[in-house]
Amino acid sequence: MAKRVGIVGAAVTPFRSRWYQKTYYELAQMATREAVADAAISIKDVDSVFYGIYNDIFERACIPESPLQGIIGLQNKFGIRVSNGGATGAYTLSAAHAYLAGERFKTALVLGVEKATDCFDFSSMSATPEVIKSIAWSGDSFFEQKIGWSASDSYAEVVLGYMDAYPGTLKPEVTARISSLLSEMARSNPYAQRQFDQVTPEEVMNSRYIVYPFKELEICVYSEGAAALILAEEETAKAIAKNTGKPIIWITGMGEANEHSFAGKNQKDMSHIVSDYVGSRRAYEMAGIKDPTKTVQVVELHDAFVHQLEITLAEFGLVPYETVDSLIEDGLMLPGGKYLVNPCGGLTYCGHAVGASNIMSAWSARKELMERKLTTALVHGTGSTISQYTACAVLEHE
Amino acid sequence: MAEKKTKIIPDEFKPEVASKVVTIDKQDFLLQNDAMFTFYQRTAGELSPFFLGIKNDRKIIGCKCPKCGLVRVPPMVTHCPDCDFAPTKLLEVGQVGTMNSTPPITYFATSMFADKAPFGRGRVILEGADTALSVMLYTTTGILVPGLIKKGTRVKVIFKNERVGQISDIFCVSASELTAQQVAKKGLLESEINWEAPKEPKFPKPGEKNIADFKHSVKELQALAIKMSHSKRARRAIEGWKRNISVKTRAGEFAMYIDDGNFKIEEKKLPSPDFIMACEDIKTLVDGLMYRGSITDSVITKKLWISKNLEFNTIFKLDRLARFLVMEQKEKKAK
Repeated sequence: MAKRVGIVGAAVTPFRSRWYQKTYYELAQMATREAVADAAISIKDVDSVFYGIYNDIFERACIPESPLQGIIGLQNKFGIRVSNGGATGAYTLSAAHAYLAGERFKTALVLGVEKATDCFDFSSMSATPEVIKSIAWSGDSFFEQKIGWSASDSYAEVVLGYMDAYPGTLKPEVTARISSLLSEMARSNPYAQRQFDQVTPEEVMNSRYIVYPFKELEICVYSEGAAALILAEEETAKAIAKNTGKPIIWITGMGEANEHSFAGKNQKDMSHIVSDYVGSRRAYEMAGIKDPTKTVQVVELHDAFVHQLEITLAEFGLVPYETVDSLIEDGLMLPGGKYLVNPCGGLTYCGHAVGASNIMSAWSARKELMERKLTTALVHGTGSTISQYTACAVLEHE
Repeated sequence: MAEKKTKIIPDEFKPEVASKVVTIDKQDFLLQNDAMFTFYQRTAGELSPFFLGIKNDRKIIGCKCPKCGLVRVPPMVTHCPDCDFAPTKLLEVGQVGTMNSTPPITYFATSMFADKAPFGRGRVILEGADTALSVMLYTTTGILVPGLIKKGTRVKVIFKNERVGQISDIFCVSASELTAQQVAKKGLLESEINWEAPKEPKFPKPGEKNIADFKHSVKELQALAIKMSHSKRARRAIEGWKRNISVKTRAGEFAMYIDDGNFKIEEKKLPSPDFIMACEDIKTLVDGLMYRGSITDSVITKKLWISKNLEFNTIFKLDRLARFLVMEQKEKKAK
């Protein structure tokens, strides 16, 4: 029987478009310092570290975690890096959970960090084209990279595939409203990159196309920052919680799936994010959730793109595919609605510091469960070449 | 689409050895120009027949599993993973196919593809194949806009005249833009297609009201440009960028200057601009710069014409300039 694993501490650094003042060394230590303080333990009490760092190029080193081991005070302890595209943070949480459930360690630090915008394009004299180029090295090197594959166009393929299958869904006025709603959510998140960038649906609809069908204000922003969680097995978690007086947020379900990297018959289905479907069902099964629409209250999902947020919620089984726009049209995710979705502002407004993003989402879900005294949250990470990766976690308030 | 690059890393991408200092809260932070680079002499290995087929023979090669019969294009496996790794056989497939799903269109590209945008990239199932080949998509009629190529659209593979044995040696256009002979021809070359050349639009003669509106709008833009030049955030949108742009409208012409953070409008004709923008109604541009619409979308919807596609880069910066000014104003208000 696997051990129960809970979150007993969490922290994030502010997510920013550019941290001139800090390298990823300091960002990683900053989140670690705050997380152990939140759990009221010493770093010496932490047995292991699981690093979520997506992209070697961002950190400008092929083993970017190696300088961190000593800097975060875990020299001579277990350390392993997870790199799974956009889903890096969620997969890092999954790995740490497995090690603790398997009784390899009593405590673990889950640490995500990314420094994206040191990349700079000297031909356009701006960072963004180089940041997205660095991400574009993630595409298939024989068949995709040389014809302009990018994170945006690969997600756009799936979104357009979904719109082919379910015509009339993902209406521009709905996606614009969701973006506006997320911007309002970010207003109360002091760590959000765009805390003060509240936008109207009209502004979203007026913003420029980046990659059709995505408008500029429907896309996540690249960030620099770090996030950390302290995980502990049951007895240790209870001892820590007794000391801090904070509730344990249990990880009761984990589920993952990675898709095929080619499309067509028997390959990737371009009209669905199958990994979101499979990953969430595996997490529900482990958590014993029969009907997620009756159980899940908070969703912190990886909204790389607002259209994908809608599709992902449908893949989770929280809204039907054909009527996915009821998220707004029937108020399912509006304030006071059935689901609290991305209360941190999501990756669109809090920011996307890739390796740290899903860990930030878990930080936010834990906070909401504790502050609003809710019971169940679903945390999600997704990444894409065309072979989308998904990891989902079910968090429950004790 | 033709490209003549002789260096793996084009010179324009390579920065000088240099550094600069950024001061935040009276503290200095050092920024250094840097790069990670690794060169390869990389084998195409088992994929060589596919890439050599494109390069030398203008053929598309796939592989077929003798057990399940699935034809994969490209031939990404030598053994079928669905049939306990039964060995597959290479075969030639057709050069016309249908789109597996509606393709996205990239308007804002990575630094390596800025000179190719806007372009589509999607997946085509060629005749004789079961899986989809990822391809770049263009139109012969100018700028690729949504709706031209959709799920189920018949497309034709076009071969570049100069091929190096990479997937970028081919691209597709809608078969409906070609003649029946071109569609039927195997190994159709890029040079065999009529590409519509960009033509500067001609506008009707202006009336008195058009002229009055133009004068008023230029004044509005001049006032806005002063605000933008004084906004710390807006200046960042055009930092390090220099362009002298001639803007032609139905009722008159003016000059737009972008100069490393400074933005200026003058009512005059530029003898040798970096590029030309042309729109019948000056309000198209006024709305864009006032953040009431996007200039990028005006180009896509053909309300605004630009003489060089590569200047999409500048158009993005102008959109960003408008947004950054509004963001700064909002943040000041919120704080």
